[in-house]
Amino acid sequence: MNANGSERPVALSFDQGTLLLQGNINNLTLADGERQIWRWDHRVNAWRCSAYHYDRVRKWLRRKLGSNFIDRVPRPENLDWAGVDLPPLRPEQVEALAAWMKAGRRGQVIMPTGTGKTEVALAAMDREKVATLVVAPVRDLMYQWHRRILHTFGYNAGIVGDGLHNLKPITATTYDSAYIHMDKMGDRFGLLIFDEEHHLPGRCRREAALLSTAVYRLGLTATPQRSDGLHEDLDELVGPVAYRMPFDRAKGSTLADFDVIRIPVQLNEHEQKTYDECSNLVRQFIINKRKEQPGYTWKHLCNESGDDPRARQALKAYYLKASIEDRAAEKLRVLEDIFRLHKGEPVLVFTGSNMMAIDISRRFLAPTILSHTRKKERLAVLDGFARSQFSVLVANRVLDEGVDVPRTKVAVVIGGQASTRQAQQRLGRILRKSGNTRGVLYEVVCQNTKEVIRSRKRRKSDAYQRTFHRRI
Amino acid sequence: MLTSEHSIVEYRNGRAFPDRLLRRDHQQYLQHAEHMLMTYRRGAGKTRRQLHRQIEIILMKEPNCPRRRIESFCKLLDEKGIFEKDPQSRSARLRMQIFSAAADFHPLVKQPDQLFEHQEHQVKNNIARKLGRPWDEIESRLYADVISFQRLQKFPGFPDAEALLSRYNVAQLQACLYRAEKMTVKAKGDFKTILRYAKLSGLLHQIERTGPLRYVMEFTGPASVLRQTRRYGVSFARFLPALLACKGWQMSAVVQTPWKTKAELILSDQDQFTSHLPPPEEFDSKLEDNFAQRFGPARDRWQLIREGVICHEGQKVFVPDFVFRHQDGAEVLLEIVGFWTPEYLAYKKQSLQQFRRRNILIAVPQRSLRTAAIIKDNVLVYKTSLKIKDVLEALEKFRAPEG
Repeated sequence: MNANGSERPVALSFDQGTLLLQGNINNLTLADGERQIWRWDHRVNAWRCSAYHYDRVRKWLRRKLGSNFIDRVPRPENLDWAGVDLPPLRPEQVEALAAWMKAGRRGQVIMPTGTGKTEVALAAMDREKVATLVVAPVRDLMYQWHRRILHTFGYNAGIVGDGLHNLKPITATTYDSAYIHMDKMGDRFGLLIFDEEHHLPGRCRREAALLSTAVYRLGLTATPQRSDGLHEDLDELVGPVAYRMPFDRAKGSTLADFDVIRIPVQLNEHEQKTYDECSNLVRQFIINKRKEQPGYTWKHLCNESGDDPRARQALKAYYLKASIEDRAAEKLRVLEDIFRLHKGEPVLVFTGSNMMAIDISRRFLAPTILSHTRKKERLAVLDGFARSQFSVLVANRVLDEGVDVPRTKVAVVIGGQASTRQAQQRLGRILRKSGNTRGVLYEVVCQNTKEVIRSRKRRKSDAYQRTFHRRI
Repeated sequence: MLTSEHSIVEYRNGRAFPDRLLRRDHQQYLQHAEHMLMTYRRGAGKTRRQLHRQIEIILMKEPNCPRRRIESFCKLLDEKGIFEKDPQSRSARLRMQIFSAAADFHPLVKQPDQLFEHQEHQVKNNIARKLGRPWDEIESRLYADVISFQRLQKFPGFPDAEALLSRYNVAQLQACLYRAEKMTVKAKGDFKTILRYAKLSGLLHQIERTGPLRYVMEFTGPASVLRQTRRYGVSFARFLPALLACKGWQMSAVVQTPWKTKAELILSDQDQFTSHLPPPEEFDSKLEDNFAQRFGPARDRWQLIREGVICHEGQKVFVPDFVFRHQDGAEVLLEIVGFWTPEYLAYKKQSLQQFRRRNILIAVPQRSLRTAAIIKDNVLVYKTSLKIKDVLEALEKFRAPEG
């Protein structure tokens, strides 16, 4: 197929997130089922395929050519731990690890929040002793992996993300940084760990899996489902589900029982007036539009907001409504009541926006963790909260997933959109068992607005089956 | 550069039209741009949030101004402004100080009673007194490092309203290219610049000659043959200003629409976008310019064409400075090495090996000979300027190699 290459031996190499096959490929029939993954790239006169096929390609070439090909893909570095400080695994963790090994060290482990997914991954790293990249959804989690690795193996892992680019045999990164940099570092690792792997199948983020030659892959999540159905692609990107632990099993054993208490708040007179005006504006706009255009939807409104000042006004009114709900003054008063009620106990507050988090912080002089809070401050705040120096920690949704918060029994969710998955993971934060006491989750929502509807929807998920409702 | 969230594109009949403000249709924007620049020039000490609010007010009455356009202007203005930084994390330290001081009084209540005696105002006033600063000031500094609360220090900014609007138009083009999968450039000149910048942006090319001084170049990235990917969209966007600075080209890019269909973005040098890069002539060396002027368009039946040919082999490209075409059909390529380093010379020689089937003449300054070693037939040595007589002599040698 390539006259120039007839004398050169077959060579396989990594090229910016892809594999290149060059040389005398005439005697290789690509027709045997392997053909479909390859494309002829006339720009460089070579065959090309995605890097994640590396294991399959290597085996196929070995079958066809024995040792008559040059594999230029670097071998991932092997490591030796100076010492390993990992607590003994619980039975379900042992099961999970064994199932993953049996699946060829490729696949997904699905365990509820708080049941020790991280330990399973660290145990896998301990066994494989190979260059590993951990991909986490947000910076906080990336740093948390860094801390866990340092603590477990005494290894100071590299960080790629948050403005840093320190690539080491063991490195932690975020999905966004992995998307950007994987074409340059995709040949460095033997094991990829995708934390909260339901983030991976997104249109761009999946490239973190596609651009890497890593043979071993481990995906971790409590909630693999995505509303767009793309979670099915995880089988290809990471491997099929190797282990799944049911939620109720977790609830009885390692997680605490909890109550959910919903506190409806009223908008004050001024807020309610503006809110109603906005509602009317949006409603009236849609009604008028539907007279001309019966199928008129919200999506049309968003599209038209550029051309039509009235549509823009309606959209603006909609955002203002959301903002009034989010930052309703009454919420601060309710919060004061909750703080009084739980004086002496650590309380974690989740907000729907940075602005609300800052409002609360200014009112109660409580520390915050926002999306851009720097590493040093973040650590100091978490540490202060763990040592009971601070009674309250206010977080924008950055702590939603997996970030280790010190054990707490009381959490408050103030505003913010929530889906089933987020609800589960939020609960996971306070579910950590502390003695025999039950956790309490307060949901502070505006009455008669769509926040209430959202809250009802949330309670339908199985995590909320034992919800209590009460007014205080 | 803007982000995808700023991008405004209209898709019509299979084509993509990024938002563009034209003198003809958007006369009033010149005035808006003046006002916006004024806002930032006088905005020292204001937070981003306050500045953005003012920009919003300027554009509020504008009937057809989408939110994204307002946000784009804010972004582009912010990019040219110098904002107060907090490298020593003063705000973070202040927060720790204040929150630690207040921790013992938790919870701060509005109305104290027997159980909870720590009144919000009292505690805050006490802290303020201890620090010797009014509470309002402390509160305003408490989250001063949050991006939207950062304060403008200086605005070196855009020279005038026109410049801001040009930048806006190019930025919207770039943002549209984030969605691009492939870019095709038809060019009649400036090949060197186009290919150099495409390469710098990390793109792969495929070049086809369609006629004398006519080339079609298709740009994609490595994984483009495997799947439709927008991964190289940023590279296209980065490459665009270089293309806009060139002359004699048409470009079409295939972009993904939000509905997962394809649309074409079509542009040419006739569209009068203004690049922030200087036109290519200005960064060509004086040596070449000088030679071309002295030689004239043709001499002794040799026609001289600047950057007339692209030699390419796989991803190796060489665009010689000049092509000499004789009336009898002979063609000689001349590359003038002016500025050099030993590494550069070695690299040049090696890359020219790829194209040894062509007639290539290299002009090397005499002072580089110590390291350049052997003089071959195709190397022409010059002292301070390249002599026309010497060049013609060397050209003739190529014409009748047997004789």
